[in-house]
Amino acid sequence: MTTTSQNEPNTGPRRINFRPSASTAIVAAAGSVLVLLVFLAIFADWIAPYDPLRQNLIKAMQGPSAAHWLGTDDLGRDVLSRLIFGCRIAVLAAAEATSIAVLLGVPLGLFIGYRGGWWDWVVMRVVEAVVSIPGIMVAIVIIAILGAGLHRAMIALGILFSTSFLRLARGVVLAEREEVYVRSARVIGASDRRILLRHIFPNIAPPLVVQVTLTVGAVLLAEAGLSFIGLGVQPPDASWGTMLNSAAAYMDLNWFLAVPPGIAIILTVLSVNLLGDVIRDSIGRGVAVGVDPGKPAERFVPAIAATGAESPAPPPLADEVLRVEGLQVLVSGRDGHEVPVITDLSFGISRGETLGLVGESGSGKTITGLSILGLIGAGGRTTHGSIVLNGRDLRRLTPKQLEEVRGNEVAMVFQDPTTSLNPAFTVGSQIAEVLRTKQGLSGKQAWSRVVELIDRVGIPRPEERARAYPHELSGGMAQRIAIARALSCNPSLLIADEPTTALDVTVQQEILDLFRDLQGEFGMAILFVTHDLAVAADISDRISVMYAGEMVEMAEVDALFARPRHPYTRGLLSAMPHASSRNPPLPTIRGNVPRPGSWPSGCRFSNRCDFATAACERPIPLVGTDRLVRCIRAPELELKAAS
Amino acid sequence: MFRLVAQRLLALVPLLFIVSVLAFSFTSLLPSDPVDLILGDTGTQEQHEMLRERMGLNEPLVVRYFQWLGKAVQGDLGTSFFNSVSVTDAVLLRLPVTLSLTAISALIAIVVGIAAGVAAALHPRSWIDRLATVGATFGQAVPNFWFGLILVAVFAVNLRWFPATGFTPISVSPWDWLRSVTLPSLALGLSSSAAIARQVRSAMVGVLQQDYIRAARAQGLSSRRVILRHALTNAMVPVVAVLSFQITVLLGGALIVEQVFAINGLGTLAIAAVRQQDIPMLQGLVLVMVGLVVLVQLATDLLYGLLNPKARPT
Amino acid sequence: MKKWITTSGVIAALALGLAGSPASAQGSGTFKYAEQVKLITMDPQKQSGSGVPFLRPAYESLFEKGPDGENVPLLATEYTVDGLDVTIKLREGVSFSNGEPFNAEAAAANINRGVEIGIVEGLKTVESAKAIDEYTLGIKLKEIDPAIITTLCYTGGMMIAPSAMADPALDRNPVGTGPYVHSKDESREGEVQVYVPNPTYWDKDMIGLARYEVWEIPDDTARLNALKTGQIDAGNWLSNPQAAIIDKSPDLKLIRNNGGLNYHVIISDREGTVVPAFADPMVRKAMALAIDRDAFNQAIQFGLAVKSFQPYGKGDWAYDPALEGVYEYNVEKARELMAQSKFPDGFTFDMPSIPIYQPRLEALAGFFNEIGITMNIVPVEPGTLARRSRTTDFPATNLVWNTVTDPKFLALRYIYEDAAYNPFKAKPSEALLALAQEGLTSVETDVRAPIYHKMAAQLADEAFLIFVTNAPILIGVSDDTAENPTVRYRYGEDSINLRGLKAND
Ligand code: SF4
Repeated sequence: MTTTSQNEPNTGPRRINFRPSASTAIVAAAGSVLVLLVFLAIFADWIAPYDPLRQNLIKAMQGPSAAHWLGTDDLGRDVLSRLIFGCRIAVLAAAEATSIAVLLGVPLGLFIGYRGGWWDWVVMRVVEAVVSIPGIMVAIVIIAILGAGLHRAMIALGILFSTSFLRLARGVVLAEREEVYVRSARVIGASDRRILLRHIFPNIAPPLVVQVTLTVGAVLLAEAGLSFIGLGVQPPDASWGTMLNSAAAYMDLNWFLAVPPGIAIILTVLSVNLLGDVIRDSIGRGVAVGVDPGKPAERFVPAIAATGAESPAPPPLADEVLRVEGLQVLVSGRDGHEVPVITDLSFGISRGETLGLVGESGSGKTITGLSILGLIGAGGRTTHGSIVLNGRDLRRLTPKQLEEVRGNEVAMVFQDPTTSLNPAFTVGSQIAEVLRTKQGLSGKQAWSRVVELIDRVGIPRPEERARAYPHELSGGMAQRIAIARALSCNPSLLIADEPTTALDVTVQQEILDLFRDLQGEFGMAILFVTHDLAVAADISDRISVMYAGEMVEMAEVDALFARPRHPYTRGLLSAMPHASSRNPPLPTIRGNVPRPGSWPSGCRFSNRCDFATAACERPIPLVGTDRLVRCIRAPELELKAAS
Repeated sequence: MFRLVAQRLLALVPLLFIVSVLAFSFTSLLPSDPVDLILGDTGTQEQHEMLRERMGLNEPLVVRYFQWLGKAVQGDLGTSFFNSVSVTDAVLLRLPVTLSLTAISALIAIVVGIAAGVAAALHPRSWIDRLATVGATFGQAVPNFWFGLILVAVFAVNLRWFPATGFTPISVSPWDWLRSVTLPSLALGLSSSAAIARQVRSAMVGVLQQDYIRAARAQGLSSRRVILRHALTNAMVPVVAVLSFQITVLLGGALIVEQVFAINGLGTLAIAAVRQQDIPMLQGLVLVMVGLVVLVQLATDLLYGLLNPKARPT
Repeated sequence: MKKWITTSGVIAALALGLAGSPASAQGSGTFKYAEQVKLITMDPQKQSGSGVPFLRPAYESLFEKGPDGENVPLLATEYTVDGLDVTIKLREGVSFSNGEPFNAEAAAANINRGVEIGIVEGLKTVESAKAIDEYTLGIKLKEIDPAIITTLCYTGGMMIAPSAMADPALDRNPVGTGPYVHSKDESREGEVQVYVPNPTYWDKDMIGLARYEVWEIPDDTARLNALKTGQIDAGNWLSNPQAAIIDKSPDLKLIRNNGGLNYHVIISDREGTVVPAFADPMVRKAMALAIDRDAFNQAIQFGLAVKSFQPYGKGDWAYDPALEGVYEYNVEKARELMAQSKFPDGFTFDMPSIPIYQPRLEALAGFFNEIGITMNIVPVEPGTLARRSRTTDFPATNLVWNTVTDPKFLALRYIYEDAAYNPFKAKPSEALLALAQEGLTSVETDVRAPIYHKMAAQLADEAFLIFVTNAPILIGVSDDTAENPTVRYRYGEDSINLRGLKAND
């Protein structure tokens, strides 16, 4: 579901998992309810305190008592005993209807899936027709043919529910047949049939199990409903539905009669459904994911978390639009503990300037952009530092004020233009919406401005394109639209998060040119986030290199490329593909960026650094004046490199 | 839009044809001889033959089917076996009752389901989310007719806020109509609310992670606007797909819930028809219900196209 | 009767005088009655069992029952019975609501149609009818029938317009001479039948309403709610919890009308065609003994009924106190009988049920279960129980017998080989047959009573009719209806006499 290709730490709610303990508890509870049910069904004759049909009219409709734990019904029969015998009918009903559904649906589904052609067409049309009639009505019609009664009603339900098994089996056959034929190069023979069969059985089992649990729950509810309206189990036999039927007649006199059978139905169906959910989840996981990659590693030592004041703040720039100082961001991991993803981050950008924020996946560069906007999401928060935009600390603003700032003073362009535009609305209307709500333009004014903007970002026939939906535009064009929207309120800061990564190389260049052009015209500051040093070099005035949540080096673009000072920067540069070479870059830095929470306690690069010494074992500050670097060995390494 | 409707309608023709064949052949499988049913044991052999002739039962099944279909297409679904009441009239008379229930319960299911689903999705893992999730799980396990009984016990018998039974046509008194359908619709709508809430929640959780939601927020659009316009519009796409199924379920559920509230709707008619083996009535009921389901599917298809531009024909 | 009419006339005159409005034949206001059974047909000659309230507004019979059960002429004026010849003088100046004149020709056509259709059991004794002169109807009987005039008080005497008889949709388009006519447009099938004043009615002063409605509310609770909320003014109930609630409610009244509903089990298959055990009188007696009638009355009928061992109720001329308690509950004796019978291990049979009898049958099933007999309860559509009971679909059935019905109908329903509820054509015993014939020889109740005492004793001995309880006819009414002086309940019937009925204020 997630579309951010960056493998950033979990910044928001991805998926709600039952914690293992909760799911075990549910399985245990639901399982024991069902075991109890089957137990009662089998041993009803021994367990029930009374004969379920034995009436005592003198003791009719009594409340719960020591003799009758759940009281007596309208004929003085023991409610508890009837409830226990009701278990038997429930189990019988569920087993009967579900088996019929499986035995009828699966073979027929396999057959038509295998046979195809007319058989398939006709059966599927009939299934469609049956499915388009409300289920209860189908059951009622079948009961009209067969007659009322438990077994006949269950045959009716079996036929009804066989449609879903039929479709399931057919679907599996079609999918597998495709695969087998592809693999065996479309040679049809007896061996293929065997292969087909061999493939079908393992593949049909998991969905079949899931479908069975769904069906059992539905059968129980349907049986109760049919018995309730008098078409299922016939009185005086005790089924939960018939018990409710007679309870309904005496609602005015003794409403309690409706409670025990109702609770029995709910508990049973609930248990079946919950168990089904768990089975579905586990089967789903088993098939789709394999090993859970989100296993938490050892926890980050929090001693470093609060080290914001460690590095001196860089000197203010002239005409500074944004100034970030000592920023720290934490996100909560899967186990609920918070881990830092950005620490001790300080930088500034001035008007008309482009700062490139470069780093590998997981370095925290995208989070930096989002934290400026206050959009880290529910799982994360900024804990230290300040983000001053046009003289105001954004961290001190109320959510309302921040909303005001977004769009007007700062805007963002995202990596994938096709997903950052809402697929449900025309692109023009999405820009117009911003203009109307942020700038108070009328619908008409907004629209003409939209056309202007679209024209300005270099899209031909802007009138027409404004009415297009995102999926009707090419990636490059969509990114132009996203840029137009971001600039619609003339923000003083534009954050561009990998805006060209998802685009073709030729289009990339055009978009970069567009940024430059627009900056020339609008004069905004740009924070350009990218993993691609070449792009950064192309567009940026200065470059800041991020590694494992902190800045390791910052310099004017030429200086950085000419003389990288941090070992990591150096590694990045040497891994850069040569403009003329088509070969992929050689990985010259061993290992991977450590995940948040498992950063080394000293220099975070120390486990990959070829120059690491014992001194690198403690936190390293970011030092320097015109250019900054976070490496205690930088001066000596530079000398070495120069020599 | 017109083309879409026309296309869909055309696609329905084979479906309706098959349903009509099913309805006709299924009900012709009924074990009892309609002539016996009508005459009872009193009729003479002569009377049997006469009636048989008059009802066209001596014709081959296929001929009878096309005769029946020909009339059905013109809105004549035949006459009940048990009195001179026309099936079309009987069904049309009860239709508003069942439709009222289905429509109000669908409304309840949609409103409650979306509200609960959105609330849960906005605050994942909060108590609201837990409450909604647990509520939805329970809601799907509660039989609608039992819930109806409990509602009657509480709100009709004890509190006397609503009538326990009966149905007031909207033409008689809109207020009494609303009062008479409230409890049955609540009873009916519960499990669909739960199903829709689950669907909305998972769709919303998915949509809220989408880039365009973050992008909309980055543009400074208010949370309200982002959630209600940008997120919900997209989250509704999968929800609409289950909606038509849920409305079919509601229509079926109405047949049972009617019995709890002694409401004279299609359910009462259907149960009476089963007990009497009133074949023309059953055939008519099946056809009308399929007709309704088809209309609902058509409506949801159109809604789907409206919400999801990619699904529109170009 | 005459006296009553005078009184009511005075009251009506007073009421009109006080209102100060000119007398109008149109009547004013609406009266709403609720019927517990569903409408099956409005064709009186095809009607069986309950549902008469749907017919009474539009159809009038030749005679009706007076307050004490006497036969009072309505569309007739006088009659003579002479052996097999019945001569009836008809009222002149009456026409059907479609304009056709009511005369002996029309009346004869009605009687003959009723005889031909053969559903109205009282007409089984009729050979044929003919017009003697314009307003004199002659009926020729097959056999002596002391109850022929009583028959003509009910559906057997209801007069349908001759041209309407050909209408295949007569079951929904009644055309009679009654004070009201059926309004098809305003009626809603399965919900309410609406009647409006008959502009051609022969006794316009007796039209007191602008509109009469009969609601079809089979659900007891729904009907009770309708009465509570004023949606209906009156309705009929069986002895069930809802009737008990009405009895206890301060603002509602439960009218115990004369006539009783005697609930009984009928062993139709008493020769054992389908269920061999039923041929054994010991089994049938055991079943009769296994029923705890007091408990049944308390639990199922909320004490509104009395236990019953014979077809008649206390106060009826045929009632025999000596039969009280012949099958007093004695489960040991019942088990003993079963053990002695040829079916000591019990047996199973099917019993048709409609929702209102469901609890009764479940209770009976419980009693029978005690002596090893399994009774399967098979639901049939409400309103079809009587019809299904006349078929061989079920080896036994359960019905109510109205205790005001003439005892000769016992024979017509249950005893004769071609009796209505003898679908298996069981041959009656000599003793029963003789008593049934003997009961017809006189019209004098003093002469007939001892004969029917013997017949009841014989029936008890043969035990193919197992009487359970006898409950009065119960009509639940609102306080306003209870205080309405124009409301007269029909003798032994669950309906209100519409002649002269005015709306509650
Ligand atoms: S501080 Fe040490 S480990 Fe870190 S980059 Fe510099 S040399 Fe390498």
